[in-house]
This record gives sequence, C-alpha cells and structure tokens, in this order.
Amino acid sequence: MKITALSGEHMQDDPAFQRQRRNWREMVPHLLAPATFLVAMLLLPQAIFEGSVPQARGNGPGPGAWPGTMLHLAAICSAIWLIQEIAAWWRNRPAPVEVPELEAAGEEYGYLKAVLGLGLIIAYGWLLPIIGFTLVTVLFIATWCVLGGIRNPFAVVPVAVLGTIVLLWMFMGAAVMPLPRGIGVFDQFSIATLQMLGIY
Amino acid sequence: MGTFELLAGGLQNAFALGAFLTIVIGLMVGVIAGALPGISFVNAMAIALPFTYVMTPTQAMLFLGGIYVGGVFGGSISSIMINVPGTPASLPACWDGYPMTRRGEVRRAISIAVTASATGGLASALLLTFGAAPFASFALRFSQPEFFAATVLGLISVIAIAKDRPAVSLLSMLLGIVVGTVGVDSTYGVPRFTFGVPALQSGIDFTVVMIGLFAVSEVIDLLATNRDLRPKKTAGQGLPIRFRDIWDIRGAIARGAGLGCIIGVVPGAGATPAAVIAYGIERQASPRGREFGTGVESGLAAPEAAKNATTGAAMIPLLTLGIPGSAATAIMLAAMMLHGVNPGPMLFLTDPTMIYTIFVAMIVANLLMIGAGIGVAQFFSTLMRTPPAVLAAFIVVLSVVGAYGVRNNIFDVYVCLAFGVLGWVMKRTGFPSAPLVLGVILGPLAERYFMTSLASSGGDWTVFFTRPISGTILLLAFLFAVWSLYPSIKGALANFRASREAEHGSRN
Amino acid sequence: MTRTAAFLAAAGLFVAQPVLNGPALAQTDYPSRPIEMIVTFGPGGGADLMGRQLARLLTNELGVSIPVSNVAGASGNAGLTRLATSAPDGYTIGTLIALTVSSWAGGLGDVSPEDFHVVAVVQSSPGFIFVPAASPHQTAEALFDHARENPGALRVATSGYGTMDDVTLQLLAQAGIEMTNVPFEAPSERYAAPLGGHSDAIYEEPGDVAQFIEAGQLVPVVVFAAERHPDFPDVPTAAELGLDIAELDIFRSIAVPAGTPDEIVARLEEAVVTAVASDEWQAFCQQTYTCIEPVTGEAAQEMVTGFHDLIARQLQN
Repeated sequence: MKITALSGEHMQDDPAFQRQRRNWREMVPHLLAPATFLVAMLLLPQAIFEGSVPQARGNGPGPGAWPGTMLHLAAICSAIWLIQEIAAWWRNRPAPVEVPELEAAGEEYGYLKAVLGLGLIIAYGWLLPIIGFTLVTVLFIATWCVLGGIRNPFAVVPVAVLGTIVLLWMFMGAAVMPLPRGIGVFDQFSIATLQMLGIY
Repeated sequence: MGTFELLAGGLQNAFALGAFLTIVIGLMVGVIAGALPGISFVNAMAIALPFTYVMTPTQAMLFLGGIYVGGVFGGSISSIMINVPGTPASLPACWDGYPMTRRGEVRRAISIAVTASATGGLASALLLTFGAAPFASFALRFSQPEFFAATVLGLISVIAIAKDRPAVSLLSMLLGIVVGTVGVDSTYGVPRFTFGVPALQSGIDFTVVMIGLFAVSEVIDLLATNRDLRPKKTAGQGLPIRFRDIWDIRGAIARGAGLGCIIGVVPGAGATPAAVIAYGIERQASPRGREFGTGVESGLAAPEAAKNATTGAAMIPLLTLGIPGSAATAIMLAAMMLHGVNPGPMLFLTDPTMIYTIFVAMIVANLLMIGAGIGVAQFFSTLMRTPPAVLAAFIVVLSVVGAYGVRNNIFDVYVCLAFGVLGWVMKRTGFPSAPLVLGVILGPLAERYFMTSLASSGGDWTVFFTRPISGTILLLAFLFAVWSLYPSIKGALANFRASREAEHGSRN
Repeated sequence: MTRTAAFLAAAGLFVAQPVLNGPALAQTDYPSRPIEMIVTFGPGGGADLMGRQLARLLTNELGVSIPVSNVAGASGNAGLTRLATSAPDGYTIGTLIALTVSSWAGGLGDVSPEDFHVVAVVQSSPGFIFVPAASPHQTAEALFDHARENPGALRVATSGYGTMDDVTLQLLAQAGIEMTNVPFEAPSERYAAPLGGHSDAIYEEPGDVAQFIEAGQLVPVVVFAAERHPDFPDVPTAAELGLDIAELDIFRSIAVPAGTPDEIVARLEEAVVTAVASDEWQAFCQQTYTCIEPVTGEAAQEMVTGFHDLIARQLQN
C-alpha cells in the first residue's frame, strides 16, 4: 500500500505517464482494504448473537440495535472510502496514505526481525499461564535481548534474571498481584521461587 | 467566612508532617506507575487500596488523591518518551510530545507537559474548593440524554484529530465501538459477539486494547529499526524551558483547563475524552493547526491541561453527592467506605475538616507535581540510556503485566497481544488506531446512555434534541464536526476543480 | 488467535486438574502461603467492600496474607470461572453474590451452583423501593395507587433487565402495579437518577444508598421481605400491602471451588464465622445494613441453589 502511495505522488507531474498507468493492477492494493471492510461490515451483523436473536424488552430497541447500527455506519464509511479510492484512481491521484513516520524519516525497516519479534511476544503470552510468570519472563527477556543484538551472555543473563526478580518483587511482592504461577510442576517451581525470594 | 476558617484548618492538617509526606509519596507512586507503560493510575490506585487500611480516612484520601493527580500526569511521560501512552488519557500526548522527543527536545516536552498538567490540575482543585456546591447541582441536572450528547461530542472529535481522511478515521472509530460491544450487554445482560468463547463474555477492556495497539507496535518498531531514543546531549544543559515559552501557550493551557473542568464534573466522562476533545479544539483554534502532529507546543499543552483538570472536577460529585463519576473516584469511595466514612452531603456537616483537608491537599499535590514530574522524568531519561533491546523487552513485560492487572485475567493478555499484532499491521499500513481506542472507550458509554434514555423516555427518540442541555451539546457537536470537516471539504472541492481543469487541459 | 488461545488455556487447565486433585495436599499446615481472594466485581462496589473487609479480618484469623484480586466482567462470571477452574486446595477463595447467581438464569457464564462449595453467606439484605425526598408519593400505597391508575408512567431505576430488580418489577406488574424499568448499569448513575429527578423511584438495597438515606434524600417506602427490616421499622413489607414478593434477598457469600477438602473448608468456615463476629465486621455490616448470622454448611449451599431456581422460574414466565 505504501509503495503505491509513494509512486503515485512521484507520477503526479506527468499526466501522460499517469494515463498509461491507470490500470487495475495499481488499483487493487488500494481497494483491497476498504472492500474487505465493506464486506465484513455487511456480514458481521449476523454474528452478534449465538443462536436465536433475543427479543427487545421494555422501551428499548433491543440488544442488537446498537452494534447493528454501528456496523451499518461502518459499512457506509467503508463504502465512502472505497469510492474515494476509486475516484482518486480515476483522477490518477491516489488519496494520500498516511505513510508511517519511519519511512518518512528514511529509516530502514527489518521485516524479518519484526515478524520474529511478534512471534516471540505471542509465545510469551501463550506460555505465561502454562510455565508461569517467573520462568517465562526470564526466557523472554533473554531471547529478546539476543534478538535485539545483545549477544554477550554476561550481559543477557544478569539482565534477565535480575530484571525478573525486580519485577517479581514489585508486582507479586509489593503490589500482591496474582500473576500466573503456571500449572503442575511449574506451579510448584514458582511457589518455591517465590518462597525463596521471601515473597510468599 | 466559615469557608476560610475551614480552609485554614485544612491547610494546617495538610501541612502536618505525616499528611504532607503521604501526599508526596502518593504523588511519586502515581507518577511512576503512570509512567510505566501498561500500568495505569486506576491500576495503581486499586493496588494501593490495601495500604490505606492502616491510615486514617483523611490520610487515605490524601494518598489516593496524590496517586490520582500524579498518575494522570505520569502517563504522559511514557507517551512523550517512547510513544506508548502510559494511561489512555495520555494518548494525545504522543501526537505532539513524541515528535519533540525525536527532535531531541525531550526535557522541553516534559516541562511543557508537567506545567500544563499542573496548571490544569490547580484550576480544577480551586474549582473543587470554591465551586463544589454549585457545580454539584449542575452535575445533577445532567441525565442520560445529556451524557449521551456529551459522549457523542467526544466521539465526533475523532474527525478533528483525523489527519487526512475523515471517512477512514470514522471507520476506525466505529470498529472501536463494535469492539466495545463484545461481551455482556449492559442493559439486557445478553452476550454479544462471543463466537462461542465464554471468556469473551467479560468484554474487551479499553486499557487492554490501548496497551496492545500502542505498546506492541512500538517495541516491534524499536526492534526492527534499532532506533536510538537516547536524549541528545545538547538538550540536556541548563533550564529546559523558559517562562516565556509557557506564556506563549497560555491560551492553549487555559482552553484545555476550562474544558477539562467542565467535562470532569460530568459523571461517566473522564480524562480521556477531555484530553482528546481539547486536542481537537486546539487543532482548530490554533493558527498552527496544520502543523499539529509534528511537535507543536500548544498541541501538547492543551490536552495535558485538560486531562489533569478533570481530577479535581471529578471529585466534586464524589465528595458532594457521594457519586463516583469514574473508576478512580470509585476506588476513593471504597477507601472511605472501608474506613466507615460515607461521602456525600452528610460529610460536609459531620466532618467538614476532612473535606477541606482534601481540598487543600489537591491544591498542594498539583503544586508539588511540577517537582515530582520533572524528578521522575529525569529518572526515566536515565533509564532511556539502556540499550533499546533491553528497554523494549521490559516494555513488553510491563504491558503484559498491565493488561493482566486490569482485571487479573489471563484472557485479557491474549486480547492485548491480538490487538498488538493488529496495531502493528495498522501502523505499517497507515490505518489510524487512535480513533479505534476512543471508540472502545466511549462506545459502551454511548450505548448505555442511549439505551437508558430510551427506556426512560418510553422509547421516544426525540428526547435527545428536545431537552435543552442535550440539544445544545448535540448542536455543538454538529458544528464542531462541520468546523473540523471544513478543510477537507474545501480540499475535496479544490481537488475536484483541479481534476476538471486537468481534464480540460488534456482535452485541449 | 484469541479463540485458539482460549482453547489452549482451557486445555491447559484441564490437564492441570488431575495433577492438583490427585494427592491430598498437605492439609495439616493449611494455610502456609498467601490465599488469593477473588472479588468478582471491580473495586468500589458492594462485593469489593465485602471481599476486602473479610480478607483483612481473615488475615488475622489465618495468619497469612490474603491479597484481593478484582476479576470483573460478565456480571461476576469472569471471576467465578477463574475460581471454579483454580486448584481446589483452599488457596483460592472468592465472592459469590446474588446478582451473579441471577445472571446464570439469563444464560450468562459457564458455571453452575454445583461448581462451588459455599463456605458461608455473610451478608444479606432485602431489596427496597426508595423515592426521592421531593416525590409526591411518599408512601408505598400512594406510589402503587399512582402506578395502578397510570400504568407505566412511573420510572424505577434498576440495575438492568433479567436481574432481581427486574423480577421484582415483573411480579409487581403481575399484581397490576405497572412501572417502567429504567436500567442503569453504573451504580453511581442509578443513584443520581432519583436524586436529580430523572426517575421516580429506585430499587436498591439500603446499604448501597446509606448516605442518601441518612441525608434524607431517599425515602424507603416498601421492603420486599417476609418481615420488616430492624433498621427501618416503619417501612411496610410487600406482604402487608397484599403482595407476595419476598425471598429475593441480595446475599453475598464466600465460596471455594467444589472438591476442596472438607478439613480446609471447615478451617475457612471457622475463620469466617470468627471474623464476622468481630466488632469491626459488625460495625461494617451495620453501616451497610447487611448484618446477618452467617449461614454455613448445607444451608448456605441450599440458599444459593434455591435462589437460582427461583429466578430461573420467574424469568421463564
């Protein structure tokens, strides 16, 4: 999407070149998002309730009215967006896309690292209730540091371990938050750790 | 003269060593908790509640009041420094505060923010002290249709904060409203959009959405670009800001503070809509409106003043009526109830000293906040010297803890991470995420007010327009929308004309 | 992603169950570490106050810290799901209140009364109808007569459809007293409505509006209970007015997951009963008009089940 936006602006000065490029291929990435939203907004009203639609009670319009109306309004907005994109394409001037500020600043973006990072964060959340906050946080901080370019084990391990202990003290000790301890053997490990740290 | 005698008594109480220390500690806790991405001041107040058991009721209120005042400001520290709002109300601080940080003006940005916040907070503390009674009856005149109208005004402001494409911003906001309807409907008790997952019945909390959308995408950017956030050396020397700089933006601060005071009194609304509306209005009112989003001082100051101006104002309905208007004041109510104190009209008769001590404490807290804010900001800018990878890892952990801590629910962590991925995609494709957060915050309120209004009026839809206050607010909202849309309508017309001319040109 | 995650979490808990149920955990030294108190609503409400007050007093009794965690959502069901799926070892206790039980009848939640072992019902209060001080109908007779003559004209602020409030209004309507139910989810807005003259009456338990009663801003006109409330001896019961509406008391109890060993429940029960007898608790419950002799054992369990059946029957009509 951003690529087309940039190229669109470059071409603005040359009408002849633009006319030649008014083709479907350029249009597709621009129309994909609004069209998807439009279809989704038209389909989602079916998914408000599971099974039967509850009856309205009292003087109100019922529990489905508000989300239904909002989805219809969203469908209208998607349609306007779609029309704007088509109009812009027709005029050979794609609507200005809010280019991420990073691109504007000319920074390089490592998509591989980004995706790895996202995966790591998801793994963190997924493992949190299973192996407990203590263990998963040590592992996460260590892995993230390695991914972020800190490879020295004498830096990574202390940061991960001491950082986790500080966080444990702060949240499970001082703030007595019931952060997940994990299940089964991990639960016992967490309890032992917490007892060792004097939190329990 | 009774008022001033009571104030003098309150002054004495508030400056007694124990009480004074309580305020200071509360402030520091609030600013630090607020500044940690993921941990909001509401979280911090709930966590602090057990510590108030051992205090006197007045001390408990001073402590929680300090956390409240400090926390509402503290959220902006992380907004300004790392572009992750510490609390939802600090969302607008990202828009013009973070660009200043990227220019190396982090201390300047923090100073402007803390001065504006303290001024706004002070204004509302004075309002609380001298205008509590009349404003309390003003708040009672508001009923559900008025609340609905006020919420609509808040929602409309997304058009004003939209950069270029109002339709896309509106779509984002509507999606947010739909996200806000997930879970048990507040009126009928019917689950909606649960897709067979019982955990979704609890609904999706706006703090969780906000943490996901902003924190995750920001740390991924840190990782993918290896950006350096360390403050530049040149900005670190001498006074970060001169009085002149603040004086230049006095209009923005005054507008923000006034708006925050009014919105804060209304139960149900709160710091976030106040800040966003203030930003929207400032963007229209300021001669530099087109530059907003690139680090304009008044764009940072107005929402800062507005959000802290809600703190004192929100305590008016709590103390005078016994009605907490927000999550933060509900926790204060709990603290008082746990001490056997019932706030409300009786408290003014039975224990006026306590009330006036709280009044004085709110004033003192806002004055002290300038010092506390700059101190904590200094400490955090030291933390910013750590390598970005370490910083990012801890932001993720804090965000997850924060998302979990909202309701101590692991499902909220999953929701947060799902929105994290979504937020990253949105950021990469330029789809605006701030309107979505606003929709999640205000949507459920709007629905509730709407449904209750209709139930109360016997299903009469005209009630929103025929009641004078609600009709006026809706008219204002409409005018605000037109005012905000004017540039883009003008732009579209110009576009149209230009393309017509181009057509002509190519034909010739 | 969320659905998979929820499934995995559920699977994880399922796997955990046998491990934790299996060997009888060391019960002799119970409690030996902090006990988590799950309050099923957010900070500041009636359930929260009860949970916190009790946690504080139980700390003295049991000698371990009892941190309160608010797990709000889905009318208290989010917290109960968490309670029901945590290890039945006495280290997780939670609040179970009437509002949540009534929500099960409306199809919410994924738990049932059998998933819990009710340790003790510690607070209970009948529902009242209050009118604002400025109301032209200062007695129940006047209010009900007006409602009979003008069906639906009077607006009563309640906590929503499908709740005890709603059931009470339905029963009144069946008796010819038809008033409009105006649901307010946020308690603060509910209390503000009659005070600001935006509704004609409010259905509520007295503890939640104590400050308004004391200030004379809200006047109780009728109590839905078998007997008059000792703190409001002048307020007639519904039965005295010829209406058979009672047993819809708003109770609050402490529960543990079903399957918790009896010795542990007994230890908790003993501690709760002692805590409730303390002066501090008595002062607290007097302030909130919720004092009762704690109901324990089988009777407590039956109270919850009976309430559930009653609401379910009523909502079916």
